[in-house]
Amino acid sequence: MKLDSASLVSQLESLLGKDLVRSDATALESYSHDATPIFQGLPEVIVAPKTTADVVKIVNFARQTSTPIIARGAGSNLCAATVPLSGGIVMSMANMKKILEVSKSEMLAVVQPGVTNLDLDQLVEKDGMRFIPDPGSRSVSTIGGNVATSAGGLRGLKYGTTKNYILGLEAVLGTGELIRTGGRLVKDVAGYDVTRLLVGSEGTLAVFTEITVALAPRPSTSKYGVAYFDDLSCAAIAVEKIISHGIMPSTLEFLDNTCITAVEEFAHLGLDTGAGALLLFGDDGEGESVSLTVNKMAEIVKESAGGRGVSLAQDVAAAEALLYARRCSLPALARLGSLSILEDIAVPRPKMAHVVTAIEGIGAKHNLRIGTFGHAGDGNLHPTIVVDKDNAAEVKRAELALSEIFHLAIAAGGTITGEHGVGSAKLPYLQELLGETNMQLQRSIKHVFDPDNILNPNRLGS
Amino acid sequence: MIEKFTQSKLDRCISCGYCLPACPTYQLTGAEESSPRGRITLMRAVQEGRLPIVDLLPEAGFCLGCRACEPVCPAGVEYGTLLEEMRDMAWQGKNRPLIIRGLFIAVQSKIGMWALGFLSPTAKNRKANPELNLMLGCFERRLFPSVSRTVAKLDTNISVCKEQSCCGALHAHNGELEKGRQMAQKLGEELTGTIITTAGGCAAHLSDVIGRDRVREFSQWWSQNEGKLEKIKKSGRTLRIGLQDSCHLRNGLGVFKEPREILKQLGDYVEVPDAGGCCGAAGSYSLLQRKNSRKVISKKIQDIKELNLDYLVTLNPGCTRQLVSQLRRARVKTKVIHLAELIDLSL
Ligand SMILES: Cc1cc2nc3c(=O)[nH]c(=O)nc-3n(C[C@H](O)[C@H](O)[C@H](O)COP(=O)(O)OP(=O)(O)OC[C@H]3O[C@@H](n4cnc5c(N)ncnc54)[C@H](O)[C@@H]3O)c2cc1C
Ligand code: SF4
Ligand code: SF4
Repeated sequence: MKLDSASLVSQLESLLGKDLVRSDATALESYSHDATPIFQGLPEVIVAPKTTADVVKIVNFARQTSTPIIARGAGSNLCAATVPLSGGIVMSMANMKKILEVSKSEMLAVVQPGVTNLDLDQLVEKDGMRFIPDPGSRSVSTIGGNVATSAGGLRGLKYGTTKNYILGLEAVLGTGELIRTGGRLVKDVAGYDVTRLLVGSEGTLAVFTEITVALAPRPSTSKYGVAYFDDLSCAAIAVEKIISHGIMPSTLEFLDNTCITAVEEFAHLGLDTGAGALLLFGDDGEGESVSLTVNKMAEIVKESAGGRGVSLAQDVAAAEALLYARRCSLPALARLGSLSILEDIAVPRPKMAHVVTAIEGIGAKHNLRIGTFGHAGDGNLHPTIVVDKDNAAEVKRAELALSEIFHLAIAAGGTITGEHGVGSAKLPYLQELLGETNMQLQRSIKHVFDPDNILNPNRLGS
Repeated sequence: MIEKFTQSKLDRCISCGYCLPACPTYQLTGAEESSPRGRITLMRAVQEGRLPIVDLLPEAGFCLGCRACEPVCPAGVEYGTLLEEMRDMAWQGKNRPLIIRGLFIAVQSKIGMWALGFLSPTAKNRKANPELNLMLGCFERRLFPSVSRTVAKLDTNISVCKEQSCCGALHAHNGELEKGRQMAQKLGEELTGTIITTAGGCAAHLSDVIGRDRVREFSQWWSQNEGKLEKIKKSGRTLRIGLQDSCHLRNGLGVFKEPREILKQLGDYVEVPDAGGCCGAAGSYSLLQRKNSRKVISKKIQDIKELNLDYLVTLNPGCTRQLVSQLRRARVKTKVIHLAELIDLSL
């Protein structure tokens, strides 16, 4: 039976205790957004469970009362995956942020979902290990959110993304049942790979309550360099060259001139704001091999067309500063206008030079400012349209441009989202990308895990 | 009283969340509404008429105003200004905390300022370089008069005029934005040339209103103008010295390297974990939000205890007061001292 908001709140309070339930107007308002612009919707109540048992109780309650539940980590997703467009319960995982175990001999850690990515990485650093997935939001975003979006990062090319580092999950299904999938084993093929299915499920199939992640040895050496180019397509061609030389470095990231300028304004790193594009390249590993690889990359980019100079970061601090600059590209771009709409297409690498040029064309055609940055090694591009939110005509042109960018990506054999997820923002385009049979399969999967459609409804699988 | 938030300042925030880890109140509660991003969302709701301003009273009080969210924000959101606007709108009439009303009365009248300075052994009136004037602060002259005395002693070029008003930082931070600015203007007219201040909070506010070129916080001024210092010895060994940054000095003016450089000359400088994080004094916060103020400082007190420091150096009277009282409460022996006074010990 569906409940009105007041009863929802009072029943949850008696179920969990008042401390874990909030329903004042300010709390509700503050959870009506995530990092996605434009989308907004008020939840009816916020709960912040402390234990797996709390989560089970909440899901069962939601099932009995047909109330939507949105699991929320740090709310840093960029696809409106946590905006409560259907009201209901927002379940904040902020009270479940313990790192339960770190095992060096097994190279793994067991964590609660609310732990932030960087906190985990810093803790395991002491034991000479690291957590590979490093989304730009790593200081903010949670492991639960990373798993639910299969977050990527700056090391995807060589090391893969979140999906490659999740060994096991404890999760509560939409039925209220608690399951454990995978575990601590390197190998385990008993049954369908439910773990892998849950990774990237955007809170629509299950709520994670415990996550076992694989760790990697922390490399002793890393080296980074910066190269400038006349434009982004020249940088893209250089990336192609590097990889066709058989080099698979950890980092190949690029920014166009708009991004370089915005980042420089914030970070003051002495970047060349006159260049059309910046390529950040780097590798990590043991001993001499790293220097050899990075020097070789420097050589290749130097020879590449449209190059405007290469330099290597002198020390770790300088390299860290460059990586930081790359990570904060998106918020830095916000300096340029009152509304930034960011996209997340991914295309086959050989098509990248063509695609970045076409994006520039789309920007020029619609008279829009588009700053593009991205994980060049992964073919993952983040064209970001920055507009004045009160200029209706400009916002309209931005929407047109976005749709053209999606079609450009699909036509190039790419996808509408490489790492940020579908959420509500990309849902209207999913059918076109996947086709009816795959969409039906997705709906069927959703139904098995969440027959009452309470977990993040009207998103994936709907 | 202002009617609306500055729209362009609200628009700057893209809700990326980069500021969440830096925010002490978010770290305490994990609640979105007590984060910088959440509070900006709330301000927007007020601006758009979805929430009445009184709904923001709890967060207007809970926020420390430490501005740790500013330097970490790649979008350049001026949260400090937005908070001042929020308090200006929220803390009107009976919604203004009583303590704040009392403090306002104390510092905005001549008699009040006279009473604060009366019998207080601050620096004495002195006509030296007319282009170099010492600011006495309002509460500093009452609580820690030796600080101004020491600065006057350290450099005899500095002029001192005891008849000076308050810079208005207290007003600006607590819901009287316009008045706070007027007071800074007035002080800027009373004291000519460069104004030297021993309070980070005042330095930031004054700079904001009358311009950075006219104001020097003490550590800034010392590192630009004075010579090298000797290490201080205590029974043959060098001192272990730590620092507590002043939030507004660090986050508002970007001054944090200078005091560290000076301390490295004076002894074995030890970086206190999260030295840049707020100590919970936060202007009037330790009076208005006693419990939360203690929660904010509790880890810091443990850290300082473990570091076994001889001195913990401060750059702002509010921090001095907070650290003295909380270290005493925890029976930690470390002495709290203003940078100027520690320099004096070395000479
Ligand atoms: C500046 C910036 C840079 C970014 N850089 C990158 C990047 O480089 N790569 C990248 O991939 N992404 C990036 N992102 C996007 C975002 O940070 C990631 O999607 C991140 O994984 C979201 O984590 P979160 O904790 O914020 O989750 P939220 O935003 O709170 O939630 C995201 C999804 O996870 C679900 N969820 C959260 N917790 C649970 C749980 N315990 N159980 C089940 N479902 C759950 C939610 O329901 C939602 O569907 C960036 C974002 C910003 C603002
Ligand atoms: S204040 Fe800055 S860092 Fe915080 S959410 Fe807004 S844009 Fe991001
Ligand atoms: S001023 Fe301090 S307490 Fe207030 S939102 Fe910013 S970081 Fe948090």
